[in-house]
Amino acid sequence: MTPAPLNRLVAQLAKLPGIGEKTAQRLAFHLLRSPPEYALELSGAIQEVVAQVRLCPRCFSLAEGALCPLCTDARREDRVLCVVEGVADLLAIERTREFKGRYHVLHGVLSPLEGVGPDQLRIRELITRLGDSPVEEIIVATNPDVEGEATALYLMRLLKPMGVKVSRIAQGIPMGGDLEYADQATLARALQGRREL
Amino acid sequence: MRLLRLTVKDFRNLSEVEVEPSVHATIAVGQNGQGKTNLLEALYYLCTLKPLRAGRLQELVRFGAGQATVTGRFLLRGAERVISVQVQDGARSVFVDGKKAASLEEYFGGVAVVAFTPDDLHVVKGGPDGRRAFLDRAVFNRFPAYLKEGRAYARALKNRNKLLKDQAEPAYLAAYDEALAQAGARVWTRRRALMEELSGRAAAAFERIGRTADPATFRYVPHGLKLPPECPFGAADEGALSAHLLQRLGARLPRDGERGYTSVGPHADDVALELGGRSARDYASQGQQRAFVLAWKVAEIENLSAALGHLPLLLLDDVSSELDPERNAYLMAYLSHSGAQVVLTTTDGSLVRAAAGEDTAWLSVRGGAVRAEGS
Ligand SMILES: Nc1ncnc2c1ncn2[C@@H]1O[C@H](COP(=O)(O)OP(=O)(O)OP(=O)(O)O)[C@@H](O)[C@H]1O
Ligand SMILES: [Mg+2]
Ligand SMILES: [Zn+2]
Repeated sequence: MTPAPLNRLVAQLAKLPGIGEKTAQRLAFHLLRSPPEYALELSGAIQEVVAQVRLCPRCFSLAEGALCPLCTDARREDRVLCVVEGVADLLAIERTREFKGRYHVLHGVLSPLEGVGPDQLRIRELITRLGDSPVEEIIVATNPDVEGEATALYLMRLLKPMGVKVSRIAQGIPMGGDLEYADQATLARALQGRREL
Repeated sequence: MRLLRLTVKDFRNLSEVEVEPSVHATIAVGQNGQGKTNLLEALYYLCTLKPLRAGRLQELVRFGAGQATVTGRFLLRGAERVISVQVQDGARSVFVDGKKAASLEEYFGGVAVVAFTPDDLHVVKGGPDGRRAFLDRAVFNRFPAYLKEGRAYARALKNRNKLLKDQAEPAYLAAYDEALAQAGARVWTRRRALMEELSGRAAAAFERIGRTADPATFRYVPHGLKLPPECPFGAADEGALSAHLLQRLGARLPRDGERGYTSVGPHADDVALELGGRSARDYASQGQQRAFVLAWKVAEIENLSAALGHLPLLLLDDVSSELDPERNAYLMAYLSHSGAQVVLTTTDGSLVRAAAGEDTAWLSVRGGAVRAEGS
């Protein structure tokens, strides 16, 4: 019933995560109704992202040039390396402005059920990287769920023998987070990990 | 905690139902196949997000309808709250006061329910999986964090079994061994904590209803432990249990690797029910076996109310017809004395009359419609 180009757009939009057929249709109609410049800018932005944004060959975060700004920034310490699951986690840690070291993005976690093993993550690249940079401590900042925990344990066993200090981010109530908003499993864990004052 | 109003839409055979329950007993009477269990299941699902019987969520949606919705208005610590759950396309969404709930904890905050169905009566005769499920419902009621913790263990177990089947490299497996051991130790400590609270109460309740001089014991049996005598299960802390499970996983690896599944851990736990030191499953009479289940449920109710400071909502599905007259009379008297808010279903109102009072709300259930009766 609807013109073929519109159907194609809806089909493409519906492939996006969290977007169902109905929402895709609404978005497509929205694009049609908007001034044509908007649609052109949007498609231009998508093309630019695809053409220009690359994974940084060192830390596997996002980069525009050869290396990402975090890897080229001379003010950051090479001594400490923070390993994260994804770019979003890196950004979350960056927002705290607490961490001055460098990053390594795994692009996932070990998940046998989803067919993601060590070879599918940027683990080999991490090892290679350790060989040619003065890293003394690695902070494993994967999520505290089963897969994140297993990934941290895997890295721990792999990295410790290399003579580098490996630490895991603490679990419990986030600093500045409200007790009342913490879920019960987190609260239970935080209670257990209490320390004497 | 009190349920003030229940609204059900397109849940199983209930197309549109409004119920104003009594503060004490609400009794739904109806012939077989009319929707009594469905009504209780709607309420149970609302309070726990676990279906009472369904394997797939989609079974909860009325044939031909797009989505099922159950909404409850509750009085919780003096404040009215409306919680609501919707099932559509095999997935559920939960709402608190009309807004999508940010977390399950926000959703659950304070709602506690204990259900008792005829299926529960087979828990003594049946296999360990039935007793584990029975135990886990009680653990979850007592420690809501267990919903997440139990799932984490199940997930770690599935992952590890996959690695065993794939014959993954030892380092990869080792990482999951450790993750599994940590999650498993948590499950063990939760179940142990619940049983420590419950088993004494259950034995005492059995004494009142068992009609035998033999004492009943309810004993938690964690699976696959080989702890040294100087460090028994009851005294081991979570760290020690985790280390022990890790060791046991290692010891079983040659054979588990061959079979492609994990043979030790909480997923094979059991609860030993014994009468006078003998297995209730093998030796107790049918009536005594039912008394075990009844005692367990009474213990769970008492334990929850001691822990929460208020009684949980009780749901009894056609239990009276399965109990002998004397035990049924005990249960009905217990319910009416407890002061708890309870919803009962029955095919025969006379069986549960002893639990009823002036303020009982009588409902009739017919063809998926629920009506309030005069008396
Ligand atoms: N998704 C569904 N949509 C419509 N009807 C359903 C659905 N699931 C179950 N039913 C119907 O609900 C009816 C059973 O209801 P229910 O189990 O509540 O009966 P009951 O009143 O408890 O009966 P009994 O006294 O035999 O236990 C059956 O007729 C069944 O076909
Ligand atoms: Mg029924
Ligand atoms: Zn980089």
